[in-house]
Amino acid sequence: MGFLSKLLSLFGGGSKQVKILVVGLDNSGKSTIIHKLKPNAEKKTSVPTVGFNMEAFEKGSLRFNVFDMSGANKYRSLWEKYYKDAEAVVFVVDTSDKFRMCVVKDELERMLSHAELEKVPILFFANKKDLMNAMSPVECAKYLELETIKDHAWQIVHSNGLTGEGLSTGIDWLAQSLSKKK
Amino acid sequence: MASNAQDNHAPLRAQDGKKDEDDEEDFEYSPFHGIEKGAVLQEARIFHAAQTDSRKCQQVLTRLLYLLTQGESFTKNEATEVFFSCTKLFQNGDANLRRLVYLIIKELPPGSDEVIIVTASLMKDMTSNNELYKGGSIRVLCRILDSSLLQQVERYFKQAIVDKAPVVASAALVSGLHMLRENPDIVKRWSSEVQDAVQSRNPMVQFHSVALLYQLKSGDRLAISKLVSSLTRGNVRSPLAQMMIVRCVARVIADSQAYADQERPFYDFLESCLRHKGEMVIFEAAKAIVELNGVTEAELAPAITILQLFLSSSKPVLRFAAVRILNKVAIDHPMAVSNCNIDMETLISDQNRSIATLAITTLLKTGNESSIDRLMKQMSSFMTEIGDEFKIVVVDAVHKLCIKFPTKFRSMMSFLSSVLREEGGFEYKKSIINAILGIVRTVAESKETALTHLCEFIEDCEFTYLSTQILHLLGEEGPKTSHPAKYIRYVYNRIILENATVRAAAVAALANFGMRVPSLAPRVRVLLRRTLRDNDDEVRDRATMYLKLLGDDATGEQQEPTPRPKVLRGQNVSLAGLERCLREYLDTPMTEAFDMAGVPEKELVPVEASKPGAPGASGSGDLSGDLSLKSDFEEALQQIPEFADLGPLFKSCDAVELVEKETEYTVSCVKHIFASHVVLQFDMTNTIEEQVLEDVSVDVDLAEAEAYEEVLTIPATRLPYGVVAQTYVLLAYEQGTMPFGRMVSTLKFVVKEIDPSTGDEEEDGFEDEYPLEDVYCSPGDYLQRTKISNFRNAWDAQDPDTEVVDEYGIGQRDSLQDAVEAVVETLGLAACEGTEAVPPNARSHVCLLHGRTTAGGSALARVNFGMDRNYEVAIKLTVRGESQDVSESLHAIVAEG
Ligand SMILES: Nc1nc2c(ncn2[C@@H]2O[C@H](COP(=O)(O)OP(=O)(O)O)[C@@H](O)[C@H]2O)c(=O)[nH]1
Ligand SMILES: [Mg+2]
Repeated sequence: MGFLSKLLSLFGGGSKQVKILVVGLDNSGKSTIIHKLKPNAEKKTSVPTVGFNMEAFEKGSLRFNVFDMSGANKYRSLWEKYYKDAEAVVFVVDTSDKFRMCVVKDELERMLSHAELEKVPILFFANKKDLMNAMSPVECAKYLELETIKDHAWQIVHSNGLTGEGLSTGIDWLAQSLSKKK
Repeated sequence: MASNAQDNHAPLRAQDGKKDEDDEEDFEYSPFHGIEKGAVLQEARIFHAAQTDSRKCQQVLTRLLYLLTQGESFTKNEATEVFFSCTKLFQNGDANLRRLVYLIIKELPPGSDEVIIVTASLMKDMTSNNELYKGGSIRVLCRILDSSLLQQVERYFKQAIVDKAPVVASAALVSGLHMLRENPDIVKRWSSEVQDAVQSRNPMVQFHSVALLYQLKSGDRLAISKLVSSLTRGNVRSPLAQMMIVRCVARVIADSQAYADQERPFYDFLESCLRHKGEMVIFEAAKAIVELNGVTEAELAPAITILQLFLSSSKPVLRFAAVRILNKVAIDHPMAVSNCNIDMETLISDQNRSIATLAITTLLKTGNESSIDRLMKQMSSFMTEIGDEFKIVVVDAVHKLCIKFPTKFRSMMSFLSSVLREEGGFEYKKSIINAILGIVRTVAESKETALTHLCEFIEDCEFTYLSTQILHLLGEEGPKTSHPAKYIRYVYNRIILENATVRAAAVAALANFGMRVPSLAPRVRVLLRRTLRDNDDEVRDRATMYLKLLGDDATGEQQEPTPRPKVLRGQNVSLAGLERCLREYLDTPMTEAFDMAGVPEKELVPVEASKPGAPGASGSGDLSGDLSLKSDFEEALQQIPEFADLGPLFKSCDAVELVEKETEYTVSCVKHIFASHVVLQFDMTNTIEEQVLEDVSVDVDLAEAEAYEEVLTIPATRLPYGVVAQTYVLLAYEQGTMPFGRMVSTLKFVVKEIDPSTGDEEEDGFEDEYPLEDVYCSPGDYLQRTKISNFRNAWDAQDPDTEVVDEYGIGQRDSLQDAVEAVVETLGLAACEGTEAVPPNARSHVCLLHGRTTAGGSALARVNFGMDRNYEVAIKLTVRGESQDVSESLHAIVAEG
């Protein structure tokens, strides 16, 4: 027993590690949100992510290993390479980008149809709530037909990546459903 | 790890003393023993775990890398799978694990669309504070960044170059070298950082920065020479970097124009490097000096002295390096190396066989005739102990030796034939055969022995290429020997035992015996008939064709042999042209026979390649074409009895057209030069369908070619429409002279009309003439373009009294290069040491030319070119030759031209 806990503490200070995939179209605010979630994050200018970025932070008893995927069109097909062992998905939607909402819907459907993505919880951030023409979470859910999702626990949260508003609500929900699952 | 395990057990093993078993045991201790791809791919699944076990992952990655270095191939799917699972390991911060992840990304990159996925992670590592992350990620990034992404992170590369951590700086510099190929414009912007890095105290960083700096400037001769001079004066301390500078210097010297009487740039620097405390610098400097273009004995001396010291070093690697360089020097400067002979003798018994081989071959080059037999014996004793690469060195040495001491051919031939019987790879066998042929070219009496050895060799030769080449040679040379019959068995054996390619070659060789030796024809016909049922098309086709040429219609019935054309124009056509014409012919209805006349001729290969002692004949790459010892022309001319006594053919000049295109007749002339005769060969075609010409000859008027005397004319009996026929004129001239001549020539013949409706020929014809363009002879015809590797030595070897100097204006030219080409062309000499190429924008140039005369002597010319603003070119021509007459003849070419 002693040996095992020692080992565990070597990797991630004793807290349980979970692997989270963060997806969404480019410019939806994924990197911004993750950056905001990290404790004592310094301010930095965001550049579009090429490929993916690894970030890690602790939340309660969980250590989040986050794969921040690039949302640009040519990288979206690579998301699936990371579905297999993901334990949760965070899907970020830019609610002010109504024009591309149909693309969001397509990508979401494509993801949900993927066999390797097992029954993991999905958290939707209806991001950029501060912007004038932003859609509400209800409007979003309706447009994306989230009610048809049966195989996953899901939640949609209104958020602002710049101020951090809504982020902890979402993450708390995620932590809760992850610990419930185990 | 493996070596530790072995060491622990070493005492145990010494006791039982069974060597072979021990080796097997050793193998078991390898941590990689029994690794198998399928299993490792299974293990790689642990990369997906949420909780990565760093140590375990490292082991699996190491095994993957091991498989990759062992040449194991991964399918596209496997590679992609492994790659993506590895990318997940970025979540683990262990620096050792990360290092292996970098390696695997580099070694197992999926398609460029997919590899891009790690870009962001690598960029993050590159800007982290961890030096190991920085260095490793930079090395991977340089492989996957395209130019637009590179521009985004360019500033990080620049910072990395001057990073205080050597791992980071070196990684960035080396990456710069890699990226220079794809993105030269970007990397060139980093040169001030690279310049700073040269000042680094770390030897590796200094080394890499010198290398990159050199590459950055390498396109620009001026900049590079400036850079190199500043580097040689700078305070570069590290031996690695200093060695790099020596290399750069060597290249700068090689690229710059060497003038005989000017002091060589940078020589002092090289010489000072011979006293450097780092051995690698000393060797590099010695190598650079030895390889200097036209290096003099005085320049060589200090390098040789220092290398001699290393010959008795206690470290094998130093002895090896020294003897290897000296071995090369001995080729061109045997005298300079002979001082080391005593040390070399000691090295013959060196434990390291590579050193011994090089020592012995060096001695062969520097030694005298008396020591050869002894050395050859010593060499045979350890041939089996050395690798092919060194065996080739030995064989080449023997080859060159024979050119030097032809009287020793017997012992060399027996050495070569014994090594030919041993095991060996293709390159090795090729070099042996090449050496045997070289000896045959030099010593005529060795021919029959050589052919016998070659016959034995093909009995058991696993290389199709060599077998076919040797069979061809047997077909050419065998019939001329005293007992042609004895080769038939060897050749026929090949037809029974070999693959189709060799069989086809054997059929052709066999047929040659039948055609050249009438007494053998019946036997050959019987043998050829047996191959008519071969299961290979090519073999059957050849057999059928040759049987026809031998007067056998394949049913066994005897016929008149089809006459063989005296000079096969077919041998002289461009193969590509022939192929094209045949393809076009296949597109026609093919009602008419194929017309060879329409096939373009190939560029004539100068005869020089087959001359003994010519530099080309001693290299190891000779076997490229065919093994024939003679040119096609020589072969053809020998079949004409009137020309049998002319001696060896010295040179065949390029064919010259003597009529305008698209006229009734086409006539071209080839001059064949012999020691005291010139054969004018006229190839003629008749393009008028309603005519046949008979008794066709060319009349040459020697009024303006008084040095020549007509001996005889051989007319062509018949020239029907569309066929090539030859007529010859034999001229005599005084041996050793190189006379000019302009010959007004006329085609003479009897015309007979053909009735187009019946195809019948008129009984009586009438005589007619047709004027041709003049035929010119010039001293250039009496020179062979032969290159030599060391012009200065050859120049100094000539009697200075033969020197003739004069200046000429040669008019306006488009460029200096143009002028050089024109002068080289008219003089009939070959440009040596790369001087045919004029550096861009040069206003003056020196060209070094060499040629061989009919007497076997040399003609050397140094041509200084100058060009003024109006593109007027003037030359100063300095000539030395075997006699003053030769020198003057060369001047006459320019003066008259
Ligand atoms: N107004 C507003 N802008 C945001 C919000 N979240 C992110 N952004 C901006 O959106 C842009 C894209 O963000 P980024 O995190 O790079 O998007 P990603 O491509 O999904 O990683 C950046 O300029 C952010 O500053 C938000 O909630 N409100
Ligand atoms: Mg991003």
